[in-house]
Amino acid sequence: MVEITIRKRQREDAVITQRKFFKKTARGKVIKVIRERYLRDDVVCGIDGCRECYSTVGPLLPFNGALDHKLFPHGHFVLPDTNVFLAQMDLLESTLFTSPIILLQTVLEEVRHRSLPLYNRLKTLVKVDDKRTWIFYNEYRSETAVVREEDESPNDRNDRGIRKGTSWYNSHISVTRPTTRGQITPLPSVVLLTDDVANRLKAEKEGIPCLSVRKYVEGMPKASQLLDLLAATDSEALEPTVAAGGRGAIYEDYLPTGELAAGIKAGKLHQGHFNANQFNYLEGSVSVPAFEKRILLVGRENMNRSVDGDIVVVEVFDEKEWKAPADEVIDQEVTLKNDDVEDSDEEGDNNEAIVEERKALKTEEAARRAAEKQPTGRVVGIIKRNWRAYVCHIDSTSLTSSNATSLSQQTVFATPVSRLLPRIRMRTRQAPTLIGQKILVTIDKWDITSRYPEGHFVRALGKVESKEAEQESLLLEFDVPYRPFGKAILDCLPSEGEQWVVPPKSETSLEWRDREDLRDLNICSIDPPNCQDIDDALHARRLPNGNIEAGVHIADVSHFVLPDNPMDDEAASRGTTVYLVDKRIDMLPSLLGTNLCSLRPFVERLAFSVIWELSPGAEIVNVRFTKSVIASKFAFTYAEAQKRKDDLKLHDDLTESIRMLNTVAQKLKAGRMTAGALNLASPEVKIHLDSSESSDPIDVEQKEMLETNSLVEEFMLLANISVARKIQETFPQTAVLRRHLPPPSANFEKLQDILKKRKGLNLDVSSSGALAASLDKCLDPTEPAFNTLVRIMATRCMLSAEYFCSGSVSKETFGHYGLASPIYTHFTSPIRRYADVLAHRQLSAAISHTPLHASLHSKTHVERVLGVVNRRHRMAQMAGRASVEFYVGLALKARVEKSLKVHSGKVTEEAFVIRTFRNGLGVFVSKLGLEGLVTFKRETQFDAENYTFTIPVAETGDKDVTIAVFDKVVVSIDVEKDRNTQRGKVKMTLVSPIDSTAL
Amino acid sequence: MAFKTLSKSEKAYIQSSLQASSSFRSDGRALQDYRTVALETGVVPLANGSARINIGKGSDEGGGTEILAAAKLEVEDVEHGDGVEGGRVSCSVSCSPSAYPFASSGTLDDLQHDYTSLVHSALSHPSLRPANLSILRGKKSWLLSLDLVVLSDCGNVYDALFMAARAAMWDTKVPRTRSVEYRASKNRTGGGTGDMEVDDEQQSGLDTRQVKAATDFELEDYWDEGEPLAGRETWPVCITLNLLPRLHFLDATSSEEAAIPHRLLLAYSFASRSTPTLQGMQLLGPGEVDLVHIKALIQEGEKYASDLYTSLNTKLKDEDIRRTDKARLRFAAVR
Repeated sequence: MVEITIRKRQREDAVITQRKFFKKTARGKVIKVIRERYLRDDVVCGIDGCRECYSTVGPLLPFNGALDHKLFPHGHFVLPDTNVFLAQMDLLESTLFTSPIILLQTVLEEVRHRSLPLYNRLKTLVKVDDKRTWIFYNEYRSETAVVREEDESPNDRNDRGIRKGTSWYNSHISVTRPTTRGQITPLPSVVLLTDDVANRLKAEKEGIPCLSVRKYVEGMPKASQLLDLLAATDSEALEPTVAAGGRGAIYEDYLPTGELAAGIKAGKLHQGHFNANQFNYLEGSVSVPAFEKRILLVGRENMNRSVDGDIVVVEVFDEKEWKAPADEVIDQEVTLKNDDVEDSDEEGDNNEAIVEERKALKTEEAARRAAEKQPTGRVVGIIKRNWRAYVCHIDSTSLTSSNATSLSQQTVFATPVSRLLPRIRMRTRQAPTLIGQKILVTIDKWDITSRYPEGHFVRALGKVESKEAEQESLLLEFDVPYRPFGKAILDCLPSEGEQWVVPPKSETSLEWRDREDLRDLNICSIDPPNCQDIDDALHARRLPNGNIEAGVHIADVSHFVLPDNPMDDEAASRGTTVYLVDKRIDMLPSLLGTNLCSLRPFVERLAFSVIWELSPGAEIVNVRFTKSVIASKFAFTYAEAQKRKDDLKLHDDLTESIRMLNTVAQKLKAGRMTAGALNLASPEVKIHLDSSESSDPIDVEQKEMLETNSLVEEFMLLANISVARKIQETFPQTAVLRRHLPPPSANFEKLQDILKKRKGLNLDVSSSGALAASLDKCLDPTEPAFNTLVRIMATRCMLSAEYFCSGSVSKETFGHYGLASPIYTHFTSPIRRYADVLAHRQLSAAISHTPLHASLHSKTHVERVLGVVNRRHRMAQMAGRASVEFYVGLALKARVEKSLKVHSGKVTEEAFVIRTFRNGLGVFVSKLGLEGLVTFKRETQFDAENYTFTIPVAETGDKDVTIAVFDKVVVSIDVEKDRNTQRGKVKMTLVSPIDSTAL
Repeated sequence: MAFKTLSKSEKAYIQSSLQASSSFRSDGRALQDYRTVALETGVVPLANGSARINIGKGSDEGGGTEILAAAKLEVEDVEHGDGVEGGRVSCSVSCSPSAYPFASSGTLDDLQHDYTSLVHSALSHPSLRPANLSILRGKKSWLLSLDLVVLSDCGNVYDALFMAARAAMWDTKVPRTRSVEYRASKNRTGGGTGDMEVDDEQQSGLDTRQVKAATDFELEDYWDEGEPLAGRETWPVCITLNLLPRLHFLDATSSEEAAIPHRLLLAYSFASRSTPTLQGMQLLGPGEVDLVHIKALIQEGEKYASDLYTSLNTKLKDEDIRRTDKARLRFAAVR
C-alpha cells in the first residue's frame, strides 16, 4: 500500500503563508489575488566558504568581500536599496564598480514593479562576468521574511525587509566565522547603500552599517571617475547643501497619473508623442487622434519639460488661442549662448538669456499668421519618458575652469548632436579632457526649478570627427544594435562554415528534399558594384507555346535561419541590415549573408524561386513557387548588364535572357504606371570612397538610374506581389504584408498652395493615379530639375510604408499607395530584412514544404515582431542618411579647403528655395542632396501668404530683391565648426541674386 | 421542515415532553437554550469577507447545522451597468444536496428560493445599506454579493443563516479607493509666452459651480484589505421562536421542527443598543396565531435577540484579534 499523507497547512498561518493584494484591471474591476509563500531555512547566503550554506550554483561572492574601500579595511559587501538601482544604474554598470553586490529579492521585485527597462538592465548586470552579484531570496528565508504590519505602507514594509536582510547578513557572517580561542577576528561588513534618508536614519538606529551612494563612492579607489557617473538625485536633502531659497519654479508640476488617466478617458486631455521642432527650440508639437492637425506647444512653459520622443499628455487651449506654427528659425545656441550654467536654476528677469529668449518669442509671436490656425496646448503630464543616452558635445564656454589638469567638479552644458533635444546640464570632474570629444550623456531628471534637464556622463566615444567616434555615435543615436554576434548565435550556423556546399543530389539528402533542380537554367544576378550579399537572381526563357517563363530566385535564408533559435531572435531584434557609407551592420552573421546565402556565380546555392509563365504582353498566365537549387551563371553589375544588353553583337543565351527580361519589365512598368503607381524621388547621393582602408570620400555624386535597375526592380515587385497574394490566401490572419497608406490630403495643402501661387500649377491628390499624372505636368521648361524637386517635396508629404499583420487591419487598407498595388509584401531580400524571412517561412508553409512554426500562427506575435521591424527599418534609414550627411560634410570640407587653396574662392552651388521663414530661407542643393538654412539678421519683408521674401537694399539704391519658393539661387557653402561645441555645421550664405554675408 | 417526516406518535412524544411541567428536550437543554455555536471568520481567502458557522456540533466533530457564507465585492457601473447609486447588496442561498439527501431537485430549488428571498429581503433593505459602498458618485459603486451555502441542516437554519451572514458582513473589508479626476484649470488659459499675466481668479464663496468631474478611481493601497463595511454592527440577527400552544422554545433540532405547528422568525437590528428595530418578521406554518400572542412574542424575541447579539459580537471581535494580532505574534514566535 502506498501511504498517502496530507500535510495540511493550518488556516491560522494564513498571515504568514499568504500574501494578499488587490489589483485593478484595465476594465475597471477589482480583483483580489493571493499568493502562497513558503518559508525555508536553507536559502543560501552566497558567500564563498560559508560554513552554513552550501551552494553549487553560480559564482559566489568572495569570502571577505572587497578590501579596497577606505572605510572598510576588513572587507565589505554592498547591499543596495531599490532607489540605488532606479537612479544609479550607470554607476553599478560601470566596470570600475567592482564591489560585490548582494541583491535582495525584495529589491529585485521592487525594481521590476517600478521600471521594466531598468529591471532588464539589472538582470543583465547580474549575469555579467566581471561583476560579483548574488541574489538573495530574502522573502523565502524564514529569518528575513517580513509581514506587513497594520497601517504600514508597502514602501515601508520593503524598507524594513531590506534592513532586516542587511542585519541578518551581518549577524550571519559573525555567527559562521570561526573564532580562534575567543579572539574575534575582524569581520567584513555588509553595507546598506541607500539614498533614502529616512531609511538610512532607521538603519543607523538599528545599528546597521549604511551609507549614501555618494559617500560610498567617495571612499572607493577610483572615486573621481565614478563620481561622474552618479546621477543627480534629491538624496542630499539632509546633507548640508546650499539653501534652496529664492528659487522660483519655472515649470508647472505634472498632474498625478491617476488624474491624467481620468482626463484622457474623459476626452479632456490628449496623449501623444512629443515632437520637437528642429528649427525652433521653443516650439514642439504633439499629434493626437482627436485633432486632424497637430497640437502646437509654444514656449518652454507649455512644453513643460518634454523631450523629443516622450509620450506626453496635453491639455488643449480654447480655440481663440489657437495659432499658426512658427515661421522663424530660433536657434537655441544663439539665443541662449550667454546663459550661465550655475545660475540657470534661478528664474528672474535680470537674467539676460531669458530676456533674449522672450524677445525672440514675442517678435515671432507677432508675426504669426492669422490663417492656418492649429490647436495649441500645454503639457500637463508625462506618460512615459523615452530618455536614452544621447550623443553630446561639451559646450566649452560653460566651463568655469578650462585648465586641462583641473579635476575640480564643475557644472557644464552638454549640447546634444540632435537638434531636437535641449541642452543638458551635468556635473563632471573631467570637463577639460572631454572638450572636443563626443560623449554619451543620459538625462536623469528635470526639475520644475531648472530650465534645463540634468544628466550625467556615461562614457566618451572619441574625438569629434574621428570616423570611429562619428560612426559609433551615429549607431547609438539611432539605436542600431551593433555588437558582434555572440557565441550562441554563431553556434546556429552550419558546422561546416565556409566549406559548406550543396550536397550532391540524392534521395536521402535533407537539402534536396522537395527541391527542384534548376542548376541548368541560365540564371544571373544583377546588383550594384561590390555587392557581397546577393540575395536575388533572375532568369527568363521562351517556352514552346510562345509564352515567356521568367523566374526570380531568392536566397533560401529560412533554410539556415530556423525559427526560435538564438540567431532567429537576434535577427528579429535587429530587424534589418543597416548600411552606412563605410560600414554595414549585418542582420545575420556574415557567413550567411556574404557566403552561404549569397547567390554567388558559379556555385550551387539553395534558393526559393518564383516562376511565372507570362504572355508576350507580360500578363501572368501562371505562377508557381518552389524551393530549388540553382547555380548562377554570372554576377553582373547594373552597368555591365546594361552594356551586355546593348551590345548588339552578342546573342548568347544569357544576353538573350536579359533582353527578354528587359522587354517584359518595360511592359510591367508601363502597366504599373497606368494603374497609378507613383514615380517618387528622394535625393540620393553616392559617396565615392577612394579605397576601403582610408575611406576618405573623394566626391559626391547623384546616383544614376539605368534600364537594368528598373529591370531588377520590376521583377522584385512582381515577386513580392505574387508572394503577398499567396500567403494572404493561405494565412488570412497572420500573413506578413507591407502597406503604404494613402496620405491624408491635408498633408498636401501647403505644397498645393505653394505650387498654385508660385507656378500656377495644380496638384490633384485625389488618388495616386491623379497625383502621378499631375506630378508629370509639374514642369518648368527653363528648369529641368524643377520636376524632381516637386517630386521630392511630394514624397515628403506622404506617409511611410509599414509592415503589418494581415489579421490586424481591415482588408480595405491593405493597399500600397506608392506602387498602386492592392497587396504587397517583402520577400526578395531575406538576408537583410527580417520581414522577408517571415514571408519565406509562410510561403514555404503555403506550398507545404515546411510546417509553419507556431509563433507565426499567432497574430500578437507577428504584430510584435513587425512592430520592432518597422521601428528598426525607420531607424536604419535615418542612420544611413545621417551617415551620408556626415560624408557629404567631409567631402565639402575637403572641397572648401581645396578651392581656398586654388583660387581663394568659396564653394558655390546652385540651390532651390524650398521654404521661407520670417528670417531665413530653406534651400536645397540637389547636387549634394543637402538641405540648408540661410538666415538673415537684418530686417526683411516676409510675405507668408505668397511665400516670398523681400530683402531691401535701400543703401545701394538698387531695387529690392525678392526671393520666392522654387526660385533658383546660388549659395556658397562653408563647413564651420561651432567654436564652443566642436559640432560641425554646414553654413550657407546667399551669393546670388544677392550676397547675404552682410545681411 | 417537511424533510424530516415523523410519525404521529413521535410528534406527540416530542410535543408532550416539551409541554410537560418541566420540559424535556432530547438533548437535555432548557427551552431557551441554544446549542453550541461554533463560528470562524476569514475562511475563504479570496472573498472579501467570509464566515463558517456550525450550530450543535457533536463532541465527535460531526453533525450540526453548518453554513458557509462569503461576501464578494464587485465594481459596478452606475451609468451604463446594473449599478445603483450608493451600492447595493445582493444575497443568495444555495443548499448543498448533501444537506437534504432525500429532497428532489425541485424541492431543493424551492427551498433555496425561499431562503434566498427571506435573507435577501432582510439584508438588502435600504435602511441597512452600508455607507461606504459608493466608489464614485454617479459612476461606480460596489455590489456586495453575499453567498450562503447550507452544508448541513440539523434544524434552526434561519438563525444560522443570519448569523453566518452577519459574521461574513462583519468580516467584509472594502478596498480603499481614491477618486481621480481632472478638472480644466480655469485660471490658466494658456498664454504660452514667458511673461504670462496670470490674474489669479478670485475664489468666491458664492461660486458654487464647482463641478466634480471625477471620472475614474484607483486603489489607494493594493496591499491593504481596506476598511470594514460601515455600520457593521447593524446587520440583523434572527431569532426563531418555535411555537407550541402556551410555550415557545429556541433553537429547535430538526426533529423538534418537524413536530411543531408554527415558527415565528424575528430579525432585529441593533443600530442603537437601547432600541432594537424589528427588521423582519415571518410566521411559518399552517393555521393562525393570535395577534395578542404575537405581540408578547415580539417582546420576548427582542430579549433573546439582544443576548444573541452580544455574544455574537464578542465572538466576532475575538476572531478579529485572532486573525491579526495573534497571528503576527505566532509568526514572530516561529522565528
